[in-house]
Parts: sequence; structure tokens; C-alpha cells
Amino acid sequence: MAEAKAVSVDQVTIEAYEKAKGDGVETVFDRVSRIKPCPIGAGGACCKNCAMGPCRVPAPKNREETPEEKAKRTGVCGATAETIAARNFARMVAAGASAHSDHARGVAETFLKAAKGELKDFAIKDEQKLYQLAMDLGVEIDDRDLKDIAVEVGEICLAEFGKQEGEIIFLKRAPLKRQEIWRNLGIAPRGVDREVVEMLHRTHIGVDQDYENILMHAARTSLADGWGGSMISTELQDVMFGTPEPVAGRVNLGILKKDHVNIIIHGHEPLLPEMMVIASQDPEMLKYAESKGAKGINLGGLCCSANEILMRHGIPVAGNFLQQELAITTGAVELMTVDVQCQMESLQQVASCYHTKLITTDRRARIEGAQHIQFEEERGLEVAKEILKMAIDNFANRNQDRVMIPDESKEMVVGFSHETINYLLGGMFRASYRPLNDNIINGRIRGVAGVVGCNNARVQHNSNFMVMIKELIKNDVLVLTTGCSAMAAGEMGLMTPEAALEYAGDGLRSVCEAVGIPPVLHVGSCVDNSRILMAATAMVKDGGLGDDISDLPAAGAAPEWMSEKAISIGEYFVASGVFTVFGVTWPTTNSEAVTKYLFEKYEDSLKGMWAFEQDPVKAAQMMIAHIDKKRKELGIDKARERILYDMEKRRELDAA
Amino acid sequence: MVEYKYEEKELPDGTKVKVLADTFEPGETEPGKEKIDWRGRLFSRDWKLKYLQTGERYWFSKSWYGSEKRKNPA
Repeated sequence: MAEAKAVSVDQVTIEAYEKAKGDGVETVFDRVSRIKPCPIGAGGACCKNCAMGPCRVPAPKNREETPEEKAKRTGVCGATAETIAARNFARMVAAGASAHSDHARGVAETFLKAAKGELKDFAIKDEQKLYQLAMDLGVEIDDRDLKDIAVEVGEICLAEFGKQEGEIIFLKRAPLKRQEIWRNLGIAPRGVDREVVEMLHRTHIGVDQDYENILMHAARTSLADGWGGSMISTELQDVMFGTPEPVAGRVNLGILKKDHVNIIIHGHEPLLPEMMVIASQDPEMLKYAESKGAKGINLGGLCCSANEILMRHGIPVAGNFLQQELAITTGAVELMTVDVQCQMESLQQVASCYHTKLITTDRRARIEGAQHIQFEEERGLEVAKEILKMAIDNFANRNQDRVMIPDESKEMVVGFSHETINYLLGGMFRASYRPLNDNIINGRIRGVAGVVGCNNARVQHNSNFMVMIKELIKNDVLVLTTGCSAMAAGEMGLMTPEAALEYAGDGLRSVCEAVGIPPVLHVGSCVDNSRILMAATAMVKDGGLGDDISDLPAAGAAPEWMSEKAISIGEYFVASGVFTVFGVTWPTTNSEAVTKYLFEKYEDSLKGMWAFEQDPVKAAQMMIAHIDKKRKELGIDKARERILYDMEKRRELDAA
Repeated sequence: MVEYKYEEKELPDGTKVKVLADTFEPGETEPGKEKIDWRGRLFSRDWKLKYLQTGERYWFSKSWYGSEKRKNPA
């Protein structure tokens, strides 16, 4: 068993872990101490792409390798350590891109059915966002019926996944210079299905054996995710469920209620969660809960399903990735639903120690022992009510003597879609990123950082996020955040406007006070990293900060990453021109050449590059140093005297 | 749309006048309560499209493209 204080920087998590230990329940914090990571696999030195292997090609430890040794360090097929490390990395990108984009495909299919009127429980909620999409996709608006516009938008979006030729449509949203870079490099992506299939083909035995070529296609594949799959998902979800606007919410295990039926919605897709929100407010369901002795129904989210309903409805969040088992060990959860991604298989084992029912809801993600109720969008609300009723019926089975709900949950203000940031900075009639750019130019805000990604049990829960984000905002860097990172920031109390007074540097604080925003903006779920791409593009297009994303005083980070999705996200940020630092571990350390290519040579072509740093303070300082470098290149690194030009000076200008 | 409120005031000469009262909306929301629906104020298709051309001008304006205008005129 792990030392409780070592597992997290969050007191609530420590208390909940102690409770789990007391109950004799094994959690991720225990498993991580008994399973050591394989050092060969961790550095990308293991190839198991054919049955002649697996081949292990680790570099010698603590000494220089001779050229002869290096020449012998190959797999049975002759694949070098470089090819093997690049293949492994590229396959991580492909898997991550697949996860986001398969999520997106489900959303697009539901959207199209809803547009055609085939789903009674889904509709077009954000008409304006639909027009926005229609204009992007070249769909005629005029006086056409809303339904016709929506159907055409849905059909075009769905066709994007399998686009065989040309390039995905949303690529044209990027700054013009960025589009040119992609086209010149030949990495403007086609549909994500094609790029992922090609990535898997190239990394099959005996195909692409030039690590630079493999890694450039990895960049292309990731772009098909960031500017394709993920962006489609974000946009269609906004049309169906509403574009997020500022809303107050709460986060951490303390949101569970002792006298309510507690239901945890875990996973990534917003379809069932949206239905659960509606069902939980149904007077009949509330009456039914009361008839079973409960005071009400309390929904709580986990992982990105939580972010989706938090951003749109203010539904509280129980926690992030590493807290999923602890939600159950409180003993207060009647039912947990899971759909896809980041749900631990151990959940069923943990649930079996309590009265909690674990329900899988997606045919793609079953868990042995868990009950499966397929979510069918044709009867979305009906399925949600069925699940809700099961939870209510299970309330009577709760053993109140085994319940321990931590007292604390933190307030936060969320809902910062790029449209809302635009509106907040300028208002209805002059919505603009100009105030942000001006405050970057005048130095109040030093730069912008995207801090995103997962939790990783190999590091103390939330600690890297807390340290890195505090370091950034202390140095006047505005932080945009998504996914588990956003929840960590919320749990640390960094997502209220008041947090700027306590943690932000003077410049950032003055801007946060003027606009009324927190110093750390919750932008959404992991597919919503596409919103950060859009915000960065708006900053470029507004002017004064260069003409490409790579010119911006900006950087990205995932200090506690663990999933392949995080690698895909990082790769599409790098391929879009962003300096991106990852923590914990780096998957190509076994090949110096591959690592150097990703960390240095990518910059020559993509104008963005990766970096790795385990220490979150040093990582934040690397980001700040990059921001300062960009400020210098833009000529905004020094305060300039303001000169009022008189006519004489103007004439001099004209003459010049 | 915002519902305008008026209140009655008295001028120094005693005349009663009706003046516009506070029209701001409450700035704070609580979980579960109605949030500020700024997009909902754009009530017609025409308004929505006009907003896109101005508010989201980075992508939809026909006459202004920010920093990119200099190099790639529309």
C-alpha cells in the first residue's frame, strides 16, 4: 500500500485513498507501486510488429555506444533503433487520433440522424453555431430551412472522415501561412481514416524505414485529428448541445451528497450524459427518488464526459482520471456509467466491494462483470431514465456506515469556448481578441500557455499541474486548459476570478480583474483542444503578433500525460507550430536521433517542436523562455516610448 | 433581449420624469441556475449572420482579415 500523503497534493484525494485502504480495496495508487514500467518499452526500444520478435534494441546504459555496437542494434528484420522508436511513436499518434476521431464519428452520425428528425431526443440547440459551420463548409444558408442546412452540414462532416483526396475542410481555418507550411511539406491531411490506415501500413514490417519520413506522416495524421476529427466533434457537439458560455460549477469528491442518489457519469462522449442531465430533472424521476427515501438525484461527472456537461450545464465534477476508483470507495455512489476511453478495468472489482452498479453503455467498450445497457440514440432519454431508475432502486442498498464523503469541493467558473473568449473581450458589438493581443504587446500578459492532458499514477496526483500552472500564472502567462488538467486546476482553486488576486503576477492580475476572468480558463474536454487551435488562430489573425501560430508568444504542455491521445494532441500542436513540453516520461529516449528530430529538427520544417522535462518548474521555465524568445522576435520584449506624431513627423514618415 | 426598466424621478423644479433604470444583467450564476445566454440575444437569422461577419470576422469578414490582409488581400 502506498503512503497516503504521497499519492496526491489534493487533501480530498488523500482522505478518500485512506478510506479505500481502510476498506481493503486496491486502487491504481497501490498497483503502480508494485508494477514497475518496462524501461525498454518506455524508451521505444521494443518492436513487436512481427512474429520474428519481439525485438529489443536498448542503447547501452551510462556509456557511449561504439559504431559497431550501434550497427548491430537492430531487430531481426534489420530495423534500426531509429525506425523502431519512430514506428512506436507514430503508432501512438495513430491510436490517439483514432480515439478522438471515432468519438467524433459517433457524434457526426448522431448529428445527422438528429438533423433528419430521426431522433426525438436530440435537436439543433445552437442555431448560430450551425450557420458558422455552414459558412465554413460552403453550405448555402439564405432562406433555406434549418433542417436542410443541418442535414447538409452533417453529411459533409461525416464524409470528412473518409476523405480520400485533397485536404480536410477545416484546415482553411488556420492562418494562411500555416496552411502554406503544411502544403509545402506535403502534410496537409486527407480524412483521418485514410491517414491512420496509412500510418499503420507504413509502420508494418518492411514498409517505411526512414524515421524522418515516418515522423512527418505522424504529423500529418495528428493534423487530421486536431483540425479534423477533434474539431468536428467539438463543433457538432456545440450545435447539438450549445456552445459553452461562462457558468459556475464545483469540482472534487465533496460534490457527492449523503442524502441523494449519487450517479457518476464517466467517459468521454456527451450523448448519454446530456440525456442523463435531462432525465435527472424530470419531476417523475425526482418523485421516484423521494419515494425511495432520497432527497434528490445528484449527478457528478468524471473525466471528459464531466467536462462536457460541466461546460454546458454546470453539472459538478467528482474528479479526474486518478479519482475514478475513489469516487466508488466513498461508498456513496449508487451507479456509475462508462462509455469510452480512460475508464479503468478495475472499476468493476472496486464496485463489487460496495453496492455500486457499474454500467457500460457503448458496444466498443465492455468491462467483464459490469452490466451492459447499450445507449441507443433513437431512445436516448428512455435509456437514460432506465439507468437512472436502476440507480434510484439501488439507493436502499447503500450502507451508510461505509460512507465517507470528503467535505471539500471547490468553486470554479468554466465555459470558455473561443467564441465566448471573443465575446468577453469585446462584447456583442465589438467582439475581438484585440484586448488580449494588446495586453500581450504591452507586456501585461507575457504569453499564453495551453496546459492539458491526463493524470499519470507515476507522479503524485495533480502535483505537476499545480506547480506548473502556478509558476506560469505567477509569471503573467494566461493558461488555457482542458481535460484532466482543467479538473486539477479547479481542485486547486485556480479557476475563479479571485484566484488571479492570489496567484497571478501583477500584469495578468490586472487583465483578469478588468475582464472578470480567472487566470486559468477551462476550455473543455480533450477533443476541445481544437478550441485552443481556434483561439490561437484568432490571435494571429487579429494582428500584431506575427502571421503564424509559431510566431505567437505561446507554448503547450502535458505535465502528467499518460495516454496515446495526449501524444496525438501534442503532435498536432507541434505540427501547428507550438513548442510543447511533456513530463513524466518520453517514448523515444532510446533513439537519440529520433528524439533530436522531434525536439530540434521539427522546428526547421514545422516551426514547432517537442521537449521533455520531468520537473514542472523547469518545464514551466522552458515555456516562459520560449515565450520570451518569441516576444523578442516580435520586437515586443522591451517597453517602447509612446510618441505622439505631429505633422512634421508625419511628413518625414511620408517622405521615407 | 434585455427588458428595459424605468423609474420615476423628480427634477429640481418638481417635474416628474421617467428615466431609464439599471438594465445590466446579474453577472453571477450558480450551479443549476440559468446562465448568461449572450448568444440567445441574437434572435434572428439575419442578426446571427451579421454577428458572424463582425464578431467572427477573422474567418467570415469579406473586407478585413487582420494581420493577414497585408500579405494576402481579400
